[in-house]
Amino acid sequence: MTIDAAAPFARVASAELRAADDLLVLHGIRKRWGKSPVLEGVDLFVARGALVSISGANGTGKTTLLRIAAGLIHPDSGEVALDGLHPERDRRAFLGRLGFLSAGDRTLYARLSPRRHLDLGARLGLLPAGNRVAAIERALGVFALDDFADRRVDRLSMGQRQRVRLAMTFVHDPALILLDEPANSLDQEGLDVLASYLEQLRSRGGAAIWCGPTGVAMPMASDTALRLAEGRLRPE
Amino acid sequence: MTELALAGNRLAGTLGLVRAYLSATAGIVRRDAVIRASYRGTLLSTLVSVIFGLATFYFVSKLVRVPPFNSPGDYFAFTVVGIVVFGLMQSSLSIPSNLRQELVAGTYERLVLSPFGSTAATVALMVFPILFALTMALVELGVAVVVFGLHVEWDTAALALPLGVAGAFAFAPVALVFAAITLAFKQAPGQNAALAVFALASGLYFPVALLPWWLHWISEIQPYTPTVALLRHVLIGFPLPLGMSIAGAVAKIAAFIVIGIPIGVLLVSIAGRYGRRHGTIIEY
Repeated sequence: MTIDAAAPFARVASAELRAADDLLVLHGIRKRWGKSPVLEGVDLFVARGALVSISGANGTGKTTLLRIAAGLIHPDSGEVALDGLHPERDRRAFLGRLGFLSAGDRTLYARLSPRRHLDLGARLGLLPAGNRVAAIERALGVFALDDFADRRVDRLSMGQRQRVRLAMTFVHDPALILLDEPANSLDQEGLDVLASYLEQLRSRGGAAIWCGPTGVAMPMASDTALRLAEGRLRPE
Repeated sequence: MTELALAGNRLAGTLGLVRAYLSATAGIVRRDAVIRASYRGTLLSTLVSVIFGLATFYFVSKLVRVPPFNSPGDYFAFTVVGIVVFGLMQSSLSIPSNLRQELVAGTYERLVLSPFGSTAATVALMVFPILFALTMALVELGVAVVVFGLHVEWDTAALALPLGVAGAFAFAPVALVFAAITLAFKQAPGQNAALAVFALASGLYFPVALLPWWLHWISEIQPYTPTVALLRHVLIGFPLPLGMSIAGAVAKIAAFIVIGIPIGVLLVSIAGRYGRRHGTIIEY
């Protein structure tokens, strides 16, 4: 396989060429919506333990790129692999290693409590019954949700809801986390909690991609800072 | 490791996976039940509409004194079973609308991106509405007996429960087809028309023999006609339509379950892939 040598910056963890044990591989990703090209040959190789930030102006395709990386939509061409797994052929195993936080404040059920959300998330993650309760309690603790764990979500503040969404993303202990504007509505304590969890993830060989609009800084240092513009990733 | 031990490991893995899928399905059912129960006003209004719906047909039946009904009570009993089956039809065909709501609310994304997957999740989304419809069917029958004096054939009435469950499963393929259309094209505009056509052609409120001959084929090609006919037979002792046998009706329901559900699940799976390819799964 040939690697686009013109875009070595997209390589995470300093090596120019794709490594055999890259956790996430996005190679030659192209996507257009109708006649408008959005991504025009994106290459991104994410090593284990890496934290990548991707910024870009509104409408440059950050969300589309994350959705392709998550297997939520297919690229028109290009390769996606997570831990060597294909997003369609190995779908269950692929999604078992993935945590995805979408932008905005959707994906919650107004009438369910955080605990019920996490229980549903753990079940959808196909966690064995014996591990479920511990995973839920851990997520409640890590994201400081204990005080309102049994309160309906529609009675929580926007920042508290964002913590629930984050906890749902992490509850099945994924290896790769894709975060689309995760700082949305989070206060400093929430950002610290998230930063701390991402550090833990890195230390055990996981990786994360943090997407946000240009000008909004991440609360922690990333290994690689990239900018998406004109359909390609460039160094920040 | 011996072949026997390997086979044992594989079996244990498969059983563990089946348990995990059942647990995820139970999670979705519990989610739907908690949400439904949280809207107590809706539950109350559903019960009130059941009573008034039955009352309407109770009074309409007073006007009916034509064969094959020997008395107004006969026609009322006939329509009560039709109303019960209509509730099951309506609830199974409401699943594409529920799916669209999930897509619009963004909650379906969580299901698509879980290891449980979009196909299994779409099937699991059907379980609570069908269980709820079966419960409401029992409530309707109970109200019809206690309040409106419906005469039930108690000797065979217990058979109505497995028949109702089988009927609900037999209706699933139609719902799955509309769910697949919703996933692929963001809406399934024909579902209300289909509900109206099936309600007419399956003889929910009048015997299918009254339909013009050129509409009879619609009565034959769907699972609602044999389900409603068998339910009437076991619940109120109403004779089966001419040309329909118990074995034939049961075979037709079984065929819709055994052949129709796998085809419906396959279509949902294909539609999910199509939606991921064309972006229809996220364009809301």
